[in-house]
Amino acid sequence: MSALAVARLELRRLFVRPLGWVLGALTLGELAWRFVLLLGNFLAAQVRLAALPAGPGYTDLVAVPLLSSLFTGSLVPFGLTELALLVVPLLTMSSLAGERGNGTLPLLLASGQSPADIVLGKYLATLAWLVAWLALVLAMPLSLAHGTTLDWGKLAAATIGLVLVLALLAAIGLACSAFASHPAIAATAALVIALALCCVNLGAQAAGVDSGVIHWLALGTHLEPLLRGLVDTTDVLWFVLLTALALALAIRRLDADRERG
Amino acid sequence: MTTPPPLLQIDRLTRQRAGRMALQDLCLTVQRGDVLGLLGVNGAGKSTTLGMIAGAMRPDSGSIRLGGEDFLEHPELGRGRIGWLPERAPLWPELTVREHLQAHGRLRGLRGTALASACDAMLERLELVPMARRLAGVLSQGQRQRVGLACAMLHRPDLLILDEPANALDPVQVAALRQLIREEAARGAAVILSTHLLAEVTAVCGRVAILHEGRLRHDGPVDAADLPTLERQFFDIAMNGRSLAA
Repeated sequence: MSALAVARLELRRLFVRPLGWVLGALTLGELAWRFVLLLGNFLAAQVRLAALPAGPGYTDLVAVPLLSSLFTGSLVPFGLTELALLVVPLLTMSSLAGERGNGTLPLLLASGQSPADIVLGKYLATLAWLVAWLALVLAMPLSLAHGTTLDWGKLAAATIGLVLVLALLAAIGLACSAFASHPAIAATAALVIALALCCVNLGAQAAGVDSGVIHWLALGTHLEPLLRGLVDTTDVLWFVLLTALALALAIRRLDADRERG
Repeated sequence: MTTPPPLLQIDRLTRQRAGRMALQDLCLTVQRGDVLGLLGVNGAGKSTTLGMIAGAMRPDSGSIRLGGEDFLEHPELGRGRIGWLPERAPLWPELTVREHLQAHGRLRGLRGTALASACDAMLERLELVPMARRLAGVLSQGQRQRVGLACAMLHRPDLLILDEPANALDPVQVAALRQLIREEAARGAAVILSTHLLAEVTAVCGRVAILHEGRLRHDGPVDAADLPTLERQFFDIAMNGRSLAA
């Protein structure tokens, strides 16, 4: 119940601040433009695709690439995953670093909320915003579902993948906000960590290192199967583990705040 | 018949901050209806003490018992029983005055009609009705102070902790604040009031504790009509570091 009270307060603050609205409007505009481009390419290639016995369809060429360009090999840049790398750190940067700077963090700690309640409440609020954002993006391909043959299973798996990515990025953003003294530092740290997770295997490959561990660490290793429609519990576990680790670090840092005063 | 435990019992509370001893072996007992004035020069350990009693920070050693229960072991006890107005009344600038009260009420466990009526009553009581829909970010310091006070008192806590509540208030508002403190004490709440204004202590407090360099140097009753004696006690401790309690 305490976490819900914190979540409600955080959601209200997200709702009345312009940042969430501006980020939402700009990214939805970019994604709408991307959707139109992907749809145009699909329509232009439709005759050629019809000749292929098991060629890619609307889901493979429009719906899933809208969610990610990097991990689907799409030529049109900046899908939702790539935008999330920037949007989530901006959204979470003030969650705890801002409260600390504003002097309201001690007030939350003194209101009988445990550090876990505060972190979980803020996490739930951020996640609610991100899920609403994802739902609005998904509404674009779904709006044409009646006129096309949508692969519901593949889209559901991709959606699960995106929810897991957003959940992980939100947890990383919150952890960075818990450790940072200033929101800008939190946003930068969260962005760098997220980019590192995305590119760790690419960098290693470029350096001539092809380690299984580095490959396992990379976000793409676990997201790509989901975007292809393959739900593997080990991939889901990877996201859950990293998310739990980031949240645990945030809680621990807040507890240390109370200890240090 | 057994005697009920004191509302607040602090025993040998010690805390270091930034490499120096901010508070050392503080022992203090507060009963229901007490109005305790906490005095001390800057850096004496007042805000550290209040922060620990409020539950915002933890001591290095010592104990705090709230109504006989271990508050350090169960910080959730403070949710419904403690109200805290920190120095400078921190607020969320993007929320309105009413939203602040609602948020604090929910954090303190109030719900539904109980929350709505508590908010209305507190807005009325602190004369905040005309600014209920105003954003906290545009309020003056005095108005912020009143909003912070309203948030601290909203859930009718047993223990009200006020850190420099008269900051930026005009004389009329200071008189209203004194009246509020008296009313809270009359309903059975204990009030701990940290201030730099000695007149504030003689006006509303029945007891005064003076901290100096992290140690309690004086704890005793205060005479409402005898400001000069309190001044002499305070300056003696502050200038010479002498303990009158000894």
